[in-house]
Amino acid sequence: MRNTLSRVAWLALGMACLPALSPAFAPAFAGEITVYSALEEDEIAAYLERAAADMPDVTVNLLRLSTGDLGARIIAEAGNPQADVIWGFAVTNMLNPAIYDQLAAYKAAGEDALGEQFRDKEGRWFAPTGYVGAFCVNTERLAQIGAPVPTSWADLKNPAYKGEVVMPDPGSSGTGYLQIAAILQGAGEEAGWQLIKDIDPNMAQYTTSGSRPCRMAQAGEFAIGASLSYVAMQGIEEGYPIQMVIPADYAGFELEANGLMAAAKNPDDAKRFLDWTLGAGAAEAYAARKDLVTIPGVPRSPQAEKAGLPEDLTAVLFPMNFAASGETRDAIITKWREAVGR
Amino acid sequence: MSAGEKRVSRGLDTPFEERLFQRVLLLVPLAGLALFFLYPLSIVVWRSFQQGDGTTGLGNYREILGLDHLWRVVSNSLVMSGLTAVICVGLGLVIAYALSRTRIPLRWLVTLALILPLLAPSLVQALGLIFMFGRNGLLTSLLGVQVQIYGLPGLVIANSLYALPQAVMILAVALRHADRRQYDAALVLGASPWRRFVDITLPGLRFGLLSAGFVCFTVTITDFGNAAVIGGNYRVLASEIYAQVVGQMNFNMGAVVGILLLIPTLLAFYLEKVAGLRGGSSEGAIPVEPDRWAPRDIPLWILTHLTALFVIAIVAVVIFASFVQLWPYRMSLTLKNYNITTQGGYDPLWTSLYASLITAVFGTAMLFALVLAQRKMPGWSARLVYLLAIVPVGVPGLVLGLSYVLSFNVRPVFPGILYGSALLIAFCNFYHYHSQGFLTMVTGIRNVPQPLEETVTTIGGGLWANLRDAVIPIMVPTLISVFFFLFMRGMVTLSAVIFLITPKLSVGAVSVMRLDQAGSSTQAAAFAVLIMITVLAAMGLMRLLLIWQSRRSRARAAG
Repeated sequence: MRNTLSRVAWLALGMACLPALSPAFAPAFAGEITVYSALEEDEIAAYLERAAADMPDVTVNLLRLSTGDLGARIIAEAGNPQADVIWGFAVTNMLNPAIYDQLAAYKAAGEDALGEQFRDKEGRWFAPTGYVGAFCVNTERLAQIGAPVPTSWADLKNPAYKGEVVMPDPGSSGTGYLQIAAILQGAGEEAGWQLIKDIDPNMAQYTTSGSRPCRMAQAGEFAIGASLSYVAMQGIEEGYPIQMVIPADYAGFELEANGLMAAAKNPDDAKRFLDWTLGAGAAEAYAARKDLVTIPGVPRSPQAEKAGLPEDLTAVLFPMNFAASGETRDAIITKWREAVGR
Repeated sequence: MSAGEKRVSRGLDTPFEERLFQRVLLLVPLAGLALFFLYPLSIVVWRSFQQGDGTTGLGNYREILGLDHLWRVVSNSLVMSGLTAVICVGLGLVIAYALSRTRIPLRWLVTLALILPLLAPSLVQALGLIFMFGRNGLLTSLLGVQVQIYGLPGLVIANSLYALPQAVMILAVALRHADRRQYDAALVLGASPWRRFVDITLPGLRFGLLSAGFVCFTVTITDFGNAAVIGGNYRVLASEIYAQVVGQMNFNMGAVVGILLLIPTLLAFYLEKVAGLRGGSSEGAIPVEPDRWAPRDIPLWILTHLTALFVIAIVAVVIFASFVQLWPYRMSLTLKNYNITTQGGYDPLWTSLYASLITAVFGTAMLFALVLAQRKMPGWSARLVYLLAIVPVGVPGLVLGLSYVLSFNVRPVFPGILYGSALLIAFCNFYHYHSQGFLTMVTGIRNVPQPLEETVTTIGGGLWANLRDAVIPIMVPTLISVFFFLFMRGMVTLSAVIFLITPKLSVGAVSVMRLDQAGSSTQAAAFAVLIMITVLAAMGLMRLLLIWQSRRSRARAAG
């Protein structure tokens, strides 16, 4: 039985090695900032490469999570915030008091050039970029069921799409909420709710995540997935047989906001980074890949062009009222659940 | 309780050092549970009473219970988890029985099928099911039949895949020890095989069956991942937490649903009562040898192998997809998916390996100590420890992860220093799976025959000798299965961990999620395959070490 005992000894030895662990959150060094972001993985890599060239003395430690997960994390960390900067985070979530109250007012260089709806009145956030609500349409599947490519939300009422449409649940996905909010703000309360109810019979699923409808459409599981422009463009890049459609009637959009954390450990470099997100270098990087850029004079990206995004997006976009849509959020979600009964 | 009292009275005349040792065995694991489970959980409880207007009260509960769709969601959850538990316990019993009591051919195939779902990130099962049975899946296109995979059926299948190995782990440990002489006696008395099963095997398994059912029910009612991918419109309570916390940023309401999900763990009261009844092991139990009996074996084997093949096929299709250009449109083979370009590349894999080893070593030691101490305790306190040890299974990963941020991201050096370290990730994964490990250990230790321990004690052996000569030899297989279970889950668990990673520290499971979110499910599949290979290689290496170690000590003993 000695062997079993020595096994226990081995285990004990293993435990003795534990203290070798070092916590990863080292104190903030000059020249190092911690940035939380919900931007896409590939664009972050491209932007950070550019940022490193423009600001070689600043090291950016970046945590990337999806909008919902990141929001939960920021709120949970409120007692002892870890980030210096929030970068590229849905403005609807930024306006949540539990996050908004953690931000400090800072007017980044170049912020004045942005339109008024793209920056906070109190100066706590500004949004140089954004994304648009879009349909991912699987052309192969559509051909199989012999139905036309839809061009608007109203088109989705067509019974030919029965069981072939997927959209996110506004209760669990910000994307789902922005779509419903765009319909309600655009069509007005009554007509909006009617449209939502009219589309409902064709809806196969209301998904938890905002990008999943497009993923399902690209895998050919369903013909149409209501999602976001960048998700659709990713799918087209990968080579899936999908087409991106910006609904002609109510194209909701979301802004990607940046802000300075009041508890930033390295506010000087954090401010430099925020300035950079509005500067010429960043604008150049946005132009290479972004579908919605609010900095005046930045041209449409090649992907956006390939995906068929209109040249002047602001003409198609419905003027969303983010503050209002944040306030009425709970009421809308409750009413939506009653309306669709799912 | 008479058995318990007898044990206690004996405990009083043990020497001081042994009583001290007993205390340490109990207090260290309890301190761990207090710091890494009770403290975070108390914060969740507190949040659930924090109302929107800043006051404290029952308002959130009233609001949640007043939601129209809540009762539908509750009944959905109960139906789904109930079905899953019945399927898993039934199939689990068949498989565990076939493995330990029959001479089943191709045993390795079944073993493989049982560890695959434990070492594959949850995305793999969901992807596999969709790739096979989805509306555009392989089988769907081949057979031309539409299976409605989204919704209750898919959810039950996916959750069964996840829970089945956990049921088998507990049941196999329960089946391992029975006394052959009981069966021999029954045979002499002319009892039919069926009677022997009903009168000897089942009563001995009662605790194992209940524990397995409890675990399957609770892990699936709290699991969110499968519900999100394959649940379709079949909403369950776990999706409600996600909607409240992640969708609507409402922690307090999420906390309320989290507390509601703890209700099923109340079943544990009953389980504990059954645990008080000692198992069937008697003095010098002779292990039951696997035997042959065609009318029993053939149906058992068919069912076992069909289940195994199904599980393997689901995982295999994902492995295949990881080599495909563009599933399901361009099926030519490629290695490009293995060129991982996300943040950190392959580094998170090594962090996972490191953290999971800690989870397994630390967890196995803590659980063993706790079980050793708990069974020597008087009735009520043993019950308390028991309950505390199995409550963690009722806490959804999302809730656990957020409660860890709220608890450990604090300014004081302790416990603040843990936040952002691999150690905290390791602990979080251990306490997430504490209950399964504990129940397996308890099932295992029930098989240590008390007379054997008493013999060792009477011939002058102290507690040490007792442990060395009576308890550990019988517990070794159980310790090994708990160790590997914790190790595998540590490698792939995602839900709680996404709140504990930092810019400089990430784990493999998060990379799989990131790749999937970045739009490439085939790259995510590729990374998942790499995790599976790493886990298998690490497990093989550890097995070899164990064999080498035991050979060497045997040789030394012989020399």
